[in-house]
Amino acid sequence: MMEDEAFTDINGKSISLDCQNHSGFCREFTVSSSKVSIGKVMVYTSGVWLLAYTVFFFTENTAVLTCAILVTLVGMMLHIHFVKVDHESLLVIGSLGIQVSSSYASGRETTTFIEQSKIKDIVINEAIYMHQIIYYLCVLLKDPSEPDVVSSVVPLFQSSKPRLNCLVKVYKSCQEILSKC
Amino acid sequence: MGQRRRASAVNNSSSQRVSGAPAEVARVPSRKHNICMVSDFFYPNMGGVESHIYQLSQCLIEKGHKVVIATHAYGRRKGVRYLTNGLKVYYLPLQVMYNQSTATTCFHSLPLLRCVFVRERITVVHAHSSFSAMAHDALFHAKTMGLNTVFTDHSLFGFADVSSVLTNKLLTVSLCDTNHIVCVSYTSKENTVLRATLNPEIVSVIPNAVDPTDFTPDPSQRQDGRITIVVISRLVYRKGIDLLGGIIPELCLKHPDLHFLIGGEGPKRIVLEEVREKYQLHDRVRLLGALEHKDVRGVLVQGHIFLNTSLTEAFCMAILEGACCGLQVVSTRVGGIPEVLPEDLITLCEPTVRSLCAGLETVIARQRSGSVPSPASIHARVQNLYTWRNVAERTEKVYDRVSGEEVLPLDRRLRRLRAHCGPVAGSIFAFVAVLNFLFLLLLQWLAPDRNMDMAVDATGLQRLWRQEPNSKVSPMKRAAEREISS
Amino acid sequence: MVLKVFFPQCCNRADSGLMVGRWISGHDSAVVLAVIHYPFIPGQVKQYIQQMQAQSGVELSVLGSWSLPKEGQEGMESFLRDLSTIFPQERWLQINREIGKTGFTCQILDRDQNGRAVQRESKKKTEKADKANGEAGGDKEEEEEEEEEKVIFVHYEQRKVMQSQLHPVENGVSDPKTDPPSELRQVFQTVARSQPLFFLDRYDDGPLKSTHWQTEGREASIIVELLKQASVPLCLLIGWLLSIWTWICGIRLFSLYPLRFLSSKLSTCVQLSYRTEHMRTLSSMKPAVGHTQFMRKANILVSFLVDVALGMLLIWWLYRDNHITMLANTLVPAADHVAKELEQLLQWLMGAPAGLKMNRALDQVLGRFFLYHIHLWISYIHLMSPFIEGILWYGGLSACLGLTFALSLLSDMVALLTFHIYCFYVYGARLYCLKIYGLSSLWRLFRGKKWNVLRQRVDSCSYDVDQLFIGTLLFTILLFLLPTTALYYLVFTLLRLVVVLFQGVLHLSVDFINSFPLFAMGLRVCRSYRLAEGVKFRVLCEEPGTALHLLMEINPLKCSTVVQTYRTPTYSCYPKDSWAALVKKLFVGELIYPWRHKTTKTD
Repeated sequence: MMEDEAFTDINGKSISLDCQNHSGFCREFTVSSSKVSIGKVMVYTSGVWLLAYTVFFFTENTAVLTCAILVTLVGMMLHIHFVKVDHESLLVIGSLGIQVSSSYASGRETTTFIEQSKIKDIVINEAIYMHQIIYYLCVLLKDPSEPDVVSSVVPLFQSSKPRLNCLVKVYKSCQEILSKC
Repeated sequence: MGQRRRASAVNNSSSQRVSGAPAEVARVPSRKHNICMVSDFFYPNMGGVESHIYQLSQCLIEKGHKVVIATHAYGRRKGVRYLTNGLKVYYLPLQVMYNQSTATTCFHSLPLLRCVFVRERITVVHAHSSFSAMAHDALFHAKTMGLNTVFTDHSLFGFADVSSVLTNKLLTVSLCDTNHIVCVSYTSKENTVLRATLNPEIVSVIPNAVDPTDFTPDPSQRQDGRITIVVISRLVYRKGIDLLGGIIPELCLKHPDLHFLIGGEGPKRIVLEEVREKYQLHDRVRLLGALEHKDVRGVLVQGHIFLNTSLTEAFCMAILEGACCGLQVVSTRVGGIPEVLPEDLITLCEPTVRSLCAGLETVIARQRSGSVPSPASIHARVQNLYTWRNVAERTEKVYDRVSGEEVLPLDRRLRRLRAHCGPVAGSIFAFVAVLNFLFLLLLQWLAPDRNMDMAVDATGLQRLWRQEPNSKVSPMKRAAEREISS
Repeated sequence: MVLKVFFPQCCNRADSGLMVGRWISGHDSAVVLAVIHYPFIPGQVKQYIQQMQAQSGVELSVLGSWSLPKEGQEGMESFLRDLSTIFPQERWLQINREIGKTGFTCQILDRDQNGRAVQRESKKKTEKADKANGEAGGDKEEEEEEEEEKVIFVHYEQRKVMQSQLHPVENGVSDPKTDPPSELRQVFQTVARSQPLFFLDRYDDGPLKSTHWQTEGREASIIVELLKQASVPLCLLIGWLLSIWTWICGIRLFSLYPLRFLSSKLSTCVQLSYRTEHMRTLSSMKPAVGHTQFMRKANILVSFLVDVALGMLLIWWLYRDNHITMLANTLVPAADHVAKELEQLLQWLMGAPAGLKMNRALDQVLGRFFLYHIHLWISYIHLMSPFIEGILWYGGLSACLGLTFALSLLSDMVALLTFHIYCFYVYGARLYCLKIYGLSSLWRLFRGKKWNVLRQRVDSCSYDVDQLFIGTLLFTILLFLLPTTALYYLVFTLLRLVVVLFQGVLHLSVDFINSFPLFAMGLRVCRSYRLAEGVKFRVLCEEPGTALHLLMEINPLKCSTVVQTYRTPTYSCYPKDSWAALVKKLFVGELIYPWRHKTTKTD
């Protein structure tokens, strides 16, 4: 089953949620953010090059221009490899665990798997983020030897930051699976 | 844009103004409000203002209103926390400058406070304590956003020195277009009205209260053969610790069975320690240091007499607590203290060492002769004098009245500032108000209201918080603090 | 509850047979380790399994049957079910796969109290081919779905899982009752310890034929075998050399106080003792027990070899083209130059530096004192100048023990050469510190307070008139002499800080070479599956009607975690105080030793 509805993130940009039901106790949720916009890239590049050209105009040193080109290229590569997240996904496998992965614009993927014995619950929580107060979905972890104490909190969908309606959907789905196993 | 009119509520308020006995039957049931209490001083800091806010909020929640508290972050305690009965507290990460008070720039708290007001759908902003910069900021921003405002003042101020003149001017500016002001005693009302040149009709007096179940007497804790005087206060200048330092040696010399039990911490502790060392009174004067709120009652019941030496006080909750525990109260006659307890429960003296000694001597003599009323009877009398539910009821009336009033739009507000607050200060703050308004417009463009998720209510009409089955237990006794950390 | 079956990828196309593995208690999962093919004799299978269990220490058992019918072979379902009676188990798994389809089907037979086999079906199996449960039929399907057992197949690559180590590494035996190891850890441990099971490859002539990752032939590496053979005599040799060296170090002559103090301060000696420790670790005859010890040994060996290689490189560069002579020839003029600059600086301070007016008398005293020191030092350098080349030549040879030695030697030489700056700094700091304390104490006297040493707080105190008079006098004197002292202190502190900074850089690089885990990083780069932080799952595309199939891959450790976990503990040198504390110390005049050296850690 694949569902695709239009949701927005906390800044108003549109994101999309994709729920895949692999089995009765295995579901995957993928939140995709907007792609790198060509407009922004052009604005930044032109800005940097204009600045470099102005400096060149006063100093007559071509190294400045080379520098600017290098800076732009390296900056763009670093941005798409380390900063720009393409989509984040949550794979819930009943009685095995939860897998959280983010995939960057360059194709690099980082994955974390949390075992079922370490998971206490999945909840929606409120937090102060910069100048806003937002809702976010998180996994509460516990130490298997101390089942009553929350040992740490792992927030989900940190780069795409969907709004409450999207989170509630994912939350309800996850609770169905967690309650079964 | 930032302004809202309360045209629909005018009918409601007019019907309430005509209320009398026959109209009670036909009175429109008061509406439930969404209240935001703002102050720098809240749990985990313990004090008069803090417990006032907490108790008032709990009683208002009981009545069905939605209450949310905004304060600054205390150490690692940041974000959203829930206290008993679903009381939501926002610990906002604003920089603390001095004495648990945030820095005031009139702008830096606007984004977060706006977020709180919008997502909780606040209708009334209730600020506490003139020492709290965050409270004044919140009033300022609430007026820019078109919300009704109420301010409660908990302290008295002087008029003469430079710092007082400046502070009073700031208070005038802050309160000149606030909808309603609440003071804790008549003395405090006079003081505030004079300081801020307010219209006395918009100032109400709602005294503080004490939770009688927390402060019960226990004469078995007292030690026989000695008379113990208990002092519990912050050890600062305005609480008259220098006076205490003069009383202790005189009285201890005259009465060999007199003991002092002093709780609290502060910069004047050194005065007491030096007095103790100079007169070799280590076994008769005990300095307990900072006390947790839950330990205060345990200390109070160990004493026979409660002493308060403050040099200025609007409404002293400490003497109420002392009397509630069945102690004889001796206090200085300053500020609003004469209004708190009836004559036979308190001995008032002038704020000098000699007068306080004389007062204490009479009480000690009475204690020795046994002609003091029993602690249980004192407790019974005090218990009915002040209750928090009464305070909440009166505050609710203030909210009902306030929600019918209109909030001044920007042009009228600027004119009022310039007219009421003097040429210099008025113009400066009018300018600041305009900047504030422009900043609000900028924020509404950068992060529009429609992008904010409305908060899920824990209290109020659409409450989702589960009621505990043993709801008869008083809110303060319940130690359940649901921590959902952030 | 969901049943999880960890199935090796190498057995995906194995012929039909029996599955051997382990049930993981408490987690409702089973790890399949190998498949033993038909034809077999059940008695021999049981004997083999017991033998393997004894050798490996893993609780092996026959989990069930695996059926992949080839072309022309009929289904053997009844035969397979009858096998369950031969091998008495709590549960018996029957896994079927058909050629051309990617999904597996699983039937589970549970043993109920009567000893009869009761069958439960997997969720989406459409054929109902048995009669044990009574009526089969569509109308009972809803009830059966609630009781139905769900199965997940987790495919893993056996070779990688066997060689991988899950982090954080748990050393020692943890109590299985209070702290049961997690499911994944148990899976990894099971596969790693079942090595004896994987020795039987297809070229063996034994009675049993099995399929596992080494079926095509056992893996071995010639280099590793050669190293293992060569390591024994090498260890003996190193051990013998070490014992001689320890005997030399243990001579009583070297335990005299001045020598001991010197050797603890000189970084070359510290580095020597440190390397001795390393050699001792390497030369121990016992093979490494456990992953951590093995990694530690390997890291030490590799970093030692790299160190020596770099040292050789340095020697090659130093000893050609007369570099040493050039260095020696520039050293003495450089020292002269430094001395002249210092003298000029002092002359400037003795005059009116930056327009400030100094106290002439104190100025002259301090200035002349320091000038005399410099004169002494320059004479000393000139005395040494013929020997400098020799010293450098022999000192450079020390680099054959490693680059770290050369750097430590350089750091020591710098320390010795700039000893006079250190002395100046100490004199200036002590004077300044005395002045500051005096001033603060007399300032308290002004305000009628004093420092209560017993109570460690500031107390009020009433002074006599003559006490106040003398106090004021002293205060004025100290206050007016403050600028002079402060200036000298400032100048020499700055010089000292420059030297300290340079030495710090050298020490940091020595520390880096010592502690960086090169072997672990190399392993992470080339064989990333050996160091596992966790696992990753991927859902394999399923056909409707089969159970869920997941692929378990190893998530390698992050590079930063590798460095953090495998860092060899050293006498690391790092800043002792935070910036704020350092500035405060400088202001008050306390002597600063900004780099802290831990004593050598022995594990």
